[in-house]
Amino acid sequence: MMPRLKRFADVLVGARDEGTSLLGRALRCMLDEQHRYQRGTSLDVWAFAEIYRQWLFELRGHALPVAQAKIDDARFAELFYPEVDGYLDAPVAAFLAGLPAQQRLTLLLVYGEGFNHEDAGRVLDVAPDTIAARLVRISAALADRLSARPPAPAAAIVETLYPEGLRGSL
Amino acid sequence: MTELSDELLVAYVDGQLARKQTRAVEKVLDQDDVIAARVDALKHAHARLEAAFEAILAGEEMDVSAVSAPAPDGIVIEWRTAKMALAAIGIVAALLLAIAGYGWPLSLPSIMAPPQVETGAPQGVSEAPGWQEQMARAHALLSRDSLEVGLESQANRDFVTLQLAQILGVNLKLPNLQPQGFRFVRAQALRSGNEPVTQILYLGSRGGPLALYAKKGEGDDTLTAEQYGSIGTVTWAEGGVAYLLAGDVEDTVLMRLATKVKLEPLLPLRAASRPFTPVNGALNSGG
Repeated sequence: MMPRLKRFADVLVGARDEGTSLLGRALRCMLDEQHRYQRGTSLDVWAFAEIYRQWLFELRGHALPVAQAKIDDARFAELFYPEVDGYLDAPVAAFLAGLPAQQRLTLLLVYGEGFNHEDAGRVLDVAPDTIAARLVRISAALADRLSARPPAPAAAIVETLYPEGLRGSL
Repeated sequence: MTELSDELLVAYVDGQLARKQTRAVEKVLDQDDVIAARVDALKHAHARLEAAFEAILAGEEMDVSAVSAPAPDGIVIEWRTAKMALAAIGIVAALLLAIAGYGWPLSLPSIMAPPQVETGAPQGVSEAPGWQEQMARAHALLSRDSLEVGLESQANRDFVTLQLAQILGVNLKLPNLQPQGFRFVRAQALRSGNEPVTQILYLGSRGGPLALYAKKGEGDDTLTAEQYGSIGTVTWAEGGVAYLLAGDVEDTVLMRLATKVKLEPLLPLRAASRPFTPVNGALNSGG
């Protein structure tokens, strides 16, 4: 499971070394607060959610969280290990790098991890309908880009940095 | 032209629709090329996303193997053990196993070490050597000359794959490592006990041969590196085949090659396009 957690952290922060660092901090928190784990909860869903919570918690400490959440395209492309297997789908990598973190993670959880909308929603603390809506927007935008159709309006992929349940308390 | 929203089409592509809705969409797809093209575009986008995420994961798995393999003095935890523990034991022990398996130093002395942890014995000195070690030892007997002199061509890769698959009883990969600097030389069948093992041999621009061994069987799907004398190996299993890549090359190079092979899709078997000329006795006899 650790490679999957590492991939989640890497895709979230957009860089390999920062992903390692975030995962390390999140794992320590998981160990410290393991009493919050409820039996019956899927371990991977819980662990992904804890990494995401850790990232949100740290992000809120920054004066400019939106700027902090932006990632570097070149460093994101390094996640694909092109030097190892020769695989780098540059258009898809660039597309993912340009998405807000929550949308990248939505794609990762559904198409990378094979989660259903409910579990993906549990990780990202949003309703399953929100996951479905994101998938429609992002899939349509990527399909347009890959087939050279006019892209969807940029406003369609703007996301808040905060999960719905926390907005009122911020 | 029928109007179907992206919302409906994405749900269709993702398999989220009820059977009745799915049939209705499929009926439209049969009659409307524009909608069919849109569905194809969405499927294509999803396939590329899946491939991209798979590529990232393959790199992470390689990192895990690279970190955990060369640690003879530390704690060695097999990744398979960690995965089993995650399912079977408490959350703390499971996370500890996973963290240790990833090779991170974690100082938490107050937390009891899980019983699955094994203190590191020197690698390659297990009491009962497995087939991988036997193959690695046999591999050391091959030289460059043994591959360069008097060999028949095996240019028909499809046929070679077909033959090897027949010998093993399961389809297997015959990777092209030419872009990585290793040209395919020949393939043959060996035997480990009563079970067939195939050997696919490559040569780089210098040094000894590189071999990909394959044997029918299940196993850990994670790349695992070992060293037997001068021969480095990487093992993994997929699609009902256990693979062993062996060679006297740098461990990082070997791991990269293994990652490349593992990422390759398993191609369906195709019939030979021309009559078969036996490539060697081993292939002919099936063992």
